[in-house]
This record gives sequence, C-alpha cells and structure tokens, in this order.
Amino acid sequence: MRKLFFKHLYTILSPQIMNKGNLMETNLVIEGFKFMGLGMGTVFLFLVVMIFSMNLMSYIIHKFFPEPEATVAPTSSAAPQQDNKTVIAAITAAIKHHREG
Amino acid sequence: MKFIVLKLLALFMVFSFTTLSANEAHSSEGANSAHKEETYQTKPFMEMIGGFLESTGISAFISPNPNELSATGEKMSDFHKSGGRIIMILVTFFLFWLGIRKGFEPLLLLPIAFGGLLANIPVAGIAGPDGFLGVIYQMGLSNEMFPIIIFMGVGAMTDFGPLLSNPKTALLGGAAQFGIFGTLVGAVALHQAGFVDFTLQQASAISIIGGADGPTSIFIATKLAPELLGAIAVASYSYMAMVPIIQPPIMKALTTEAERKMKMTTLRHVSRLEKLIFPIMVLTLAILVLPESTPLIGAFMFGNFLKESGVVERLNDTLQNALINITTIFLGLGVGSKLAADQFLVPETMFIMVLGIVAFSVGTAAGVLMAKFMNLFPGHKINPLIGSAGVSAVPMAARVSNKVGMEYDRTNMLLMHAMGPNVAGVIGSAVAAGVLISLFK
Repeated sequence: MRKLFFKHLYTILSPQIMNKGNLMETNLVIEGFKFMGLGMGTVFLFLVVMIFSMNLMSYIIHKFFPEPEATVAPTSSAAPQQDNKTVIAAITAAIKHHREG
Repeated sequence: MKFIVLKLLALFMVFSFTTLSANEAHSSEGANSAHKEETYQTKPFMEMIGGFLESTGISAFISPNPNELSATGEKMSDFHKSGGRIIMILVTFFLFWLGIRKGFEPLLLLPIAFGGLLANIPVAGIAGPDGFLGVIYQMGLSNEMFPIIIFMGVGAMTDFGPLLSNPKTALLGGAAQFGIFGTLVGAVALHQAGFVDFTLQQASAISIIGGADGPTSIFIATKLAPELLGAIAVASYSYMAMVPIIQPPIMKALTTEAERKMKMTTLRHVSRLEKLIFPIMVLTLAILVLPESTPLIGAFMFGNFLKESGVVERLNDTLQNALINITTIFLGLGVGSKLAADQFLVPETMFIMVLGIVAFSVGTAAGVLMAKFMNLFPGHKINPLIGSAGVSAVPMAARVSNKVGMEYDRTNMLLMHAMGPNVAGVIGSAVAAGVLISLFK
C-alpha cells in the first residue's frame, strides 16, 4: 500500500513528465518546491543569524557601552517625550475606539 | 435642451460615418502626408473637416488604425484598440472609486489609475516610447530606480526599536514569507495543470505579491516579468489596502479566545547605539549571505541609518517626505502606463488577482501558526495575533493585529509588539526577493 502511494507520488512529481503530445517537458511543480525549500531556508537562516547578532550586539553594548548616566540631560529629555507620545497615541486610540465601539 | 444634445450627437454620428467610408480612399495618401506638411497646400474646407474628424478619439475608437502599434511596438488586436480601451478606462474609474471612496491606498492607487487612463488614450500614444508616460517608465521603472528610492524613504520612516527589544519576533516575519513560496508552487501547478501559461519567472514575479511589499513587488516584476507589471502592481497595492478585510477572519479562525487575550511583557528600552548599529549589521549580513538582496536592503538601511544617526535631520526629512512623494507620483504614473488594454486585458491578469489574494492569506496564516509554534518553547509567550503582522504592509498589518487584540481585551495594546514582526517582514521579503533574483541569474 505504501509502495503504491509512493509510486503514484513519483509519477506526479517525476522530473520529466509526458505532456499530451510526445514532447518531454520539465515538471515545473518540482522546480517550485525546490525554490520554496531554498527560499524559505535562506529567509530563516538570515533571520536566525540576525536574531543572534542582535542579541550579541545588545549584550556587548549593555556590557561595555552602557548609556552614560552623566549626560542624562539630552537623552532623558528625549526619552520621556517619546514615551509621552506613545502614551498620548494610546490614549487617543483608546478614546477613539471607545467612541466608535 | 435634450433635443439639442440629441441633434448634436446625431450630427457626430453622421460625420464619423462619412469618415469611415472616406478612410479607404485616404489611406493611400496617408503615406506621403509627412511630405505635404512642409509645403502647405490649400485644401477644400470639407476635406479639412474630414481630416480632422479622422483624428478624433471617436473615430479612433470606432475604426482603429490598422497600423497602430502597442507601446512595446507590437501588433495589437482590434479589440484591444477599441472596446478593450473603453473597458480599461472604466476599470481606472473603478480604481478611482476604490481610492477615493474606499480609501484603498489612494497615494499610489490614484497615480496608477490616472496613468492607466492616460495610457489607454488612442492616437496620442502617451505610454509609447515617445509619450511622457513611456519616458517616465524608461527613466525609473525599467531600470528599477523608483522602487529603490521608495525603499530609502521607507527605511527613513522605520523604527527598529520594537524588533531590537524582542528579537525573536523576527521569525514571524520570516514565516509570513511562506505566502510567497507557497504561491509560487501554486502558480506553477496552475501552469502544469494547463490552465494558464506561466513561465517560472512569471510565477516568481506573481508570488512576490505575498510579500505584501509594493516596492519589492515592482522591483521583482520589472526584473523578471515586465509584461505583467501592471497587474502585479495593482494586485499588490489593492490587496495591501484590503489587509484589514483579508486578515482578521484568518487570524480568528486559527486562534482560540484565550490566545487572543494573551498579554505580552512590556518592551525593554533600546539604546540609541543599538539602533545606530543595527542597519549596518543587517547590511553586513546581507553582504555575506545574499549580495543579490543588497540593492533593496542597502537602500532600506541607508534611509534608516540617516534617521538614526540624528545628525542629518534635513536629509532624513527629505527622504521621508519630499523625495518619497515625488517618486511615488512618478512610480504610480509609470506603473499606470502598463495598464494599457493590450497588456492588462489578458487571461493572466485574472489568475494574478486570484494568486495574489491566496498569497496574502497563506502568508497571514503562516505567521499566526509560527507564533503558536514558538509558544511551544520556553521563554516569553507571544500573542499569535502579532504573527499576521509578519507580512510586511507596514504599518497596516500591525494596526490590524492591534485592532483584533483590542476587540477581545480593550487594555491589550499589541501595536508596538506587532511592529517587530512587521519590520522583520520587510527584511524577510527583501531576502526572499534576493533569493528569487539569484536563482534566475
């Protein structure tokens, strides 16, 4: 039974299939699966390497280049401002949602 | 009043009929009319009127010039010169309606649709090699310039902070690229089944719609299958605008209510130095792993680097506003020139529209399922709703995640969490584009 299934699968996915006439044509579906394997593999490989390097980078930066506490003035004034913005955005979104809903 | 209009119409009809019959007689003279221009000869007034009427749009629609060539210099069928053009003009009106009334990405849909309207005008040949749309196309689309400039602007608008504070969400942006490659297999399967005649290049160009990234789609389409550019761009941008309609049902079908209410830990603060180094780091990885993707990633990271450097506010401002706006106008008009009837009214367009929506749906589903898969492992849990944001479509897809999350728990703010996979999706689709390009080298 299992053999039969594989045999059938082989005829669908065989590299060369008979196409109506006598012309031999390469099976594009197989090519498509190859593309998928290589493509998804590369995308994930890239992102996994990127995640590792991001973690490594933040580890190094936090260990050796912590944000200077002395020059807090410019950074701290910028950071809360950003926080405020997100808070304000969140509040407005919530209000809007409340009014609409 | 009505009577006068009718009378005028009747008059026009009569005139156009006389030109129809006069067509044959004039066609032999048409060949040496260029010479006559230099030595102007007086003509009887009726002949002048006849000649003028022959050059009107009405006569061009009713009896198209048999020698007229398409923008690419090929012969066109009579249908594509007459009825096809009228259908395409109506299609552009429909796109206007979508953009203005429905608010579907009007910034790009309106220039594209107006470009399409202009490209379907007979006689004037605006989309031809000497028309202004043709010149715009040559200037920045056939050499992939405009999508790259758009990418710079998008880079300047992107904040990698959410991704840096929760790096593993980048995997969601990778999973969503399954939409691209799943559709690629679907497209070649359609070909194999004999429904439509797609080459592997065309199938790849169509499947990149699943990346949900307009500039990347246009970049790949002009490289691999320029004849399908119009349909691919229209599908890509209209589906991107329909993300709030396409995604929620899929997201809800694949998650339980408890999962949708899941709260995520707050994001840590990201230092400026991290944000500054990140673009250089990603570009370095792209150089090492896949140089073929560096045109897109390089431009993207250039824009982001200018923004994060914090010392070139003027350039950053130009990239984010003036430059991207100007380029959007040209890009839209250039893409619109590919909405000419002879290139758009082909059976392939219908399949592209269907495959495009399949690509979006598969990408969304893959992202959500990936988030559920990642929750099987120890570590901070991820709300599966942000998985759908892995299809790029910045920031629309992230907003959809947020909105669906708030439907179930009003205090659950997922927006910033969803921005991580969202920007990772942009990188992911640029990598996928690079793979496709490298495969056809």
